[in-house]
Amino acid sequence: MRVSKEWLNDFIEIKTDINELSEKITRGGIEVDDIIDYTADIKKLVVGYVEEVSQHPNADKLNICRVNTGEEVKQIVCGAENVRADTYVIVCQVGGRLPGGIKIKKAKLRGEVSEGMICSLDEIGIPGEYVPKEYQDGIFIFQDEQEAGADALPAVYLDDQVMEFDLTPNRKDALSMIGAAYETKALFGGAVKRPDVGFVEVDDPVDVTVVNADSEAVPYYSLRVVKDVKIGPAPTWMQIRLIKAGIRPINNVVDISNYVLLEYGQPLHMFDYDQIGSSEIVTRFAEEGEKMTTLDDKERSLKSSDVVITNGKEPIALAGVMGGDFSEVTDETKNVVIESAAFNPVSIRKTSGRLNLRSEASSRFEKGVSHEFVLPALERAAYLLEKYAGGKVSSGYNADGELDTSGSVIKTSRDFINNRLGMTLETAEIEETLSKLGLETTVNEDELEINIPSRRDDLQIAEDITEEVARIYGYDALPTSLPRFENITPGKLTDEQSKLRIIRHQLEALGLSQSINYALTSKEKAAQFTDRTEGLKLLMPMSEDRAVLRNSLIPHLVDNVVYNNSRQQKDVQLFEVGRIFISKGQDTQPDEVEKLGGIITGQMNRTDWLGSHVPADFYAAKGILDSVFEKLGILDNINYIPVEGYPEMHPGRTAEIALGESRVGFVGELHPKYEKDHDLNQTVVFEVNLDELLDVKLGSIEYEVLPKYPSISRDIALVAGRDVPVSTLVDIIEGAAKKYLVDVYVFDVYDGEHIEDDKKSVAIRLTYLNKEETLTDEAVEDIHQPVLEALKVEGFVLRG
Amino acid sequence: MDTSGMSQILEEFKASLETVEDSRSLQDLKVQYLGKKGKVTGLMKEMKNLSKEERPEYGQKVNELRESIDSMINEKSEALEAAALEERLANETLDVTLPGRKFNIGSQHPISRIIEDIEDFFLGLGYEIQEGYEVETDYYNFEALNLPKSHPARDMQDSFYISEEILLRTHTSPVQARVLEEREGKEAVKIICPGKVYRRDSDDATHSHQFTQIEGLVIDKNIHMSDLKGTLELFAKEIFGSEREIRLRPSFFPFTEPSVEVDISCFKCKGKGCNVCKNSGWIEILGAGMVHPNVLEMAGYDSREYSGFAFGMGPDRVAMLKYGIEDIRHLYTNDLRFINQFKQTEDGGERNESL
Repeated sequence: MRVSKEWLNDFIEIKTDINELSEKITRGGIEVDDIIDYTADIKKLVVGYVEEVSQHPNADKLNICRVNTGEEVKQIVCGAENVRADTYVIVCQVGGRLPGGIKIKKAKLRGEVSEGMICSLDEIGIPGEYVPKEYQDGIFIFQDEQEAGADALPAVYLDDQVMEFDLTPNRKDALSMIGAAYETKALFGGAVKRPDVGFVEVDDPVDVTVVNADSEAVPYYSLRVVKDVKIGPAPTWMQIRLIKAGIRPINNVVDISNYVLLEYGQPLHMFDYDQIGSSEIVTRFAEEGEKMTTLDDKERSLKSSDVVITNGKEPIALAGVMGGDFSEVTDETKNVVIESAAFNPVSIRKTSGRLNLRSEASSRFEKGVSHEFVLPALERAAYLLEKYAGGKVSSGYNADGELDTSGSVIKTSRDFINNRLGMTLETAEIEETLSKLGLETTVNEDELEINIPSRRDDLQIAEDITEEVARIYGYDALPTSLPRFENITPGKLTDEQSKLRIIRHQLEALGLSQSINYALTSKEKAAQFTDRTEGLKLLMPMSEDRAVLRNSLIPHLVDNVVYNNSRQQKDVQLFEVGRIFISKGQDTQPDEVEKLGGIITGQMNRTDWLGSHVPADFYAAKGILDSVFEKLGILDNINYIPVEGYPEMHPGRTAEIALGESRVGFVGELHPKYEKDHDLNQTVVFEVNLDELLDVKLGSIEYEVLPKYPSISRDIALVAGRDVPVSTLVDIIEGAAKKYLVDVYVFDVYDGEHIEDDKKSVAIRLTYLNKEETLTDEAVEDIHQPVLEALKVEGFVLRG
Repeated sequence: MDTSGMSQILEEFKASLETVEDSRSLQDLKVQYLGKKGKVTGLMKEMKNLSKEERPEYGQKVNELRESIDSMINEKSEALEAAALEERLANETLDVTLPGRKFNIGSQHPISRIIEDIEDFFLGLGYEIQEGYEVETDYYNFEALNLPKSHPARDMQDSFYISEEILLRTHTSPVQARVLEEREGKEAVKIICPGKVYRRDSDDATHSHQFTQIEGLVIDKNIHMSDLKGTLELFAKEIFGSEREIRLRPSFFPFTEPSVEVDISCFKCKGKGCNVCKNSGWIEILGAGMVHPNVLEMAGYDSREYSGFAFGMGPDRVAMLKYGIEDIRHLYTNDLRFINQFKQTEDGGERNESL
């Protein structure tokens, strides 16, 4: 809603400047988003009287004008086709300025002196889309006599600033000039003056009847008939006010309809009386599939939730949204029917949304119009048609339905208001604050009964009154306090939340940076790094890349590496903590699983001058994960199981991660082909299910007394098949040692010279410790020999 | 008694000692004089040629000679060791200005930093942290928050629907609704709910279809709007600096009544006016209000007995304002040159004030 200060002043006297006005309105709850100042960047703009126009001797399209600018007559060259003698125009004099940084200088145009410029509306700052047709390709010409040399801005009603209201959805009451005036009154005081409606009815009773077939569709419909109107331009002040409100003037009848809409927030519709096709108006819900052609010449197929205005036979308008083609007002219109009605807000919203026809009218109807303004708007339009279109108002109006103009009552109390706000207002203060809003209060001890006029039917409950008191009284006056809770409870992270923070900080300490990616991805990526082939799909995606919810964190982490690689960053190590979404069908909520994903490529901990680094390979990723598992105290329960079958992963360099019996994730190198397709170097990824990891409860640390006796270690070297996982050897050793074995440490793996091609040599250190007494060599041998035997039995050859 | 032999030995020894340069020749010299077959030991053999009366004195002189040589050898030995150490140290000198062995540290994401700071502040006030679903039902995302299907305010949120009743949550407020419902209208509530939210927006410098929110909710028997103002004022001072002030502007949210927008005085220009605050001196940072009675009633709370406040803010926006990040897309591109700027710890001081 754009509110002109000059126009607002008609409704309530404005004594402050625009900045204070808009600041206070903003603090009062209606955000003034922008101030359009039509006086900015304009200098030396006067009214000129064109005395004479003659053809420029050297240019076909230019005219030489003698223009009286008050004190003298100037020669001004003008290229506009509509320039003519004996008219009043807007002149920017030499030394003047126009919006867009234009400076007017004395100039010679094709040899002829030009002292100033005759302006179009565009040139003085009116956006082209709002300029009326008659001035679109030329200069602005005043409709009537002016004083030459007078300041042109006030003459053209642009000595003005316009506030752009950014209204919250509850403040439909301020979608009108009168609403803006009531808000101004609440904040600054003063009195609201209503527009004139003093027309004279002719002795010709209104002859169009009204029937609302369904009061749910149309609760109230009223009309008046105005005959003998003369279609022409509306007066300049009305046109300019419409322009300032963001509406392009068309002709006096259409403009009056829009003007009254802006005055009262009550949309009107004007029908051509002679084209309706009957003398009755019947409103109803449309029939499913019913057809009508709207005034934009489009045939519309209607739904049963649409509301239509009919002539008893066929629709003549789509209620509140758009008029019909044959009943619209044209240049030939002589007699008009003014409609002022209240329509079903939900219907209007559905219809305008479905047909993508949102307008000043529909946006007001869908919020519900104020019943108290339905009839005043009808009267006002009749008055303006009489005055500015020469119309004759038929006597009386016809209407069907009921208007609820009595308003409502909200009961509350001083204590309630004070309790909710944390203030100590007196009843009189509350009453006074509400009266500024035009809300009358009946006081009974501390109980308050507040009368709510229909224009403020957004106020419905006691809490709404609390808000009105607070916002008009001012939130600066609200004291500050801290809650006094019934019970004091400690604030702390849950086990899962604190463990998650620890994991994140640990990964960061290990050199991985935290990334955050989008949960929406492409269909293709949703099927990667997962055994699920489908993700949850959006009904209306914005793009194919963001159409499906992710099934894995890895695809976007890969994107992150590709992005960084192409920006000269080859060493990339990232992790992400986020949800993936396991679809259970489009109609139910999915399983949301919190995952930890990681990606590493290049080198880590590089110190090139010392020739040292940690390669970002499988074992680096495994080591990073192990450190997390160690921190969580679950490392002993974790197993890595070789796995094939992920098409994106290297089949020989990928492991599933098992926590006890449960598969909680995977780690591995990307498939060389996948790497090539993405232009990646060797890259390793991992993804684990955090929910399962964090579910493990371990309680407190168990301290163990330090051993008093020394441990003894034995190194063994054995030859095993190349394919035998070392974990198999460790399992045999741990299974065979009856007691005292405290550590099994693989310290060398070798395959090369002196070892058969399909074999490898593995060196393992076993550490024994008896916590009760010093271990003797004999005692160790008693335990160690069975271990060696067990390895031999399994076919492993011990080396010297 | 002739002791000239002793003097001669001592002189010879001293001369030899002068030429010693390493511990090995020193050891040889020691054997040469003090060893079993050494010169000093040889002197003792002279004893038998002396009278019984002379022997003790002679013996004593030989011992004196032995001790004096021994101590000179020890002295020399220490000197040699010291010199050797000196030489070793000289050889071992490092260029301490060369880079150390790198132990890379990764960086926390700026959004994550902001969320942790905000969480810690409210944990200190006794709040719990609650999380909810990112894929929500229409009921919890809208209806339970006083946004029935026909509500015009639904226009404010263009949402990603998955089906008629399922959508990506447009705000963290459904967590409120679920927590309230779980407490069955009996218990007090003090929670903050951080999380990702989704709106059907085209991504550009200031819009992102995915961003984060933190919602706060307090319900108890005696909660006033002044408590909301006090809590948020404390929050602003704690997170944005002790000189910050807040101001409340009336606004509208379907789930609160009264509703306010909360501005904080600009932390960049301290309220004088700058590009961050668009010359107003104030920055809009939060939406807040008193919980709408319909929301309480729908969850089973008696809205006459219980009241409460709720507030919500966007960590993305806070991060952008705090660090001057010019494009919200940076937060989701994961460019290391961006993320790695957020490594160091932060404190309440001015930048480099004590360096």
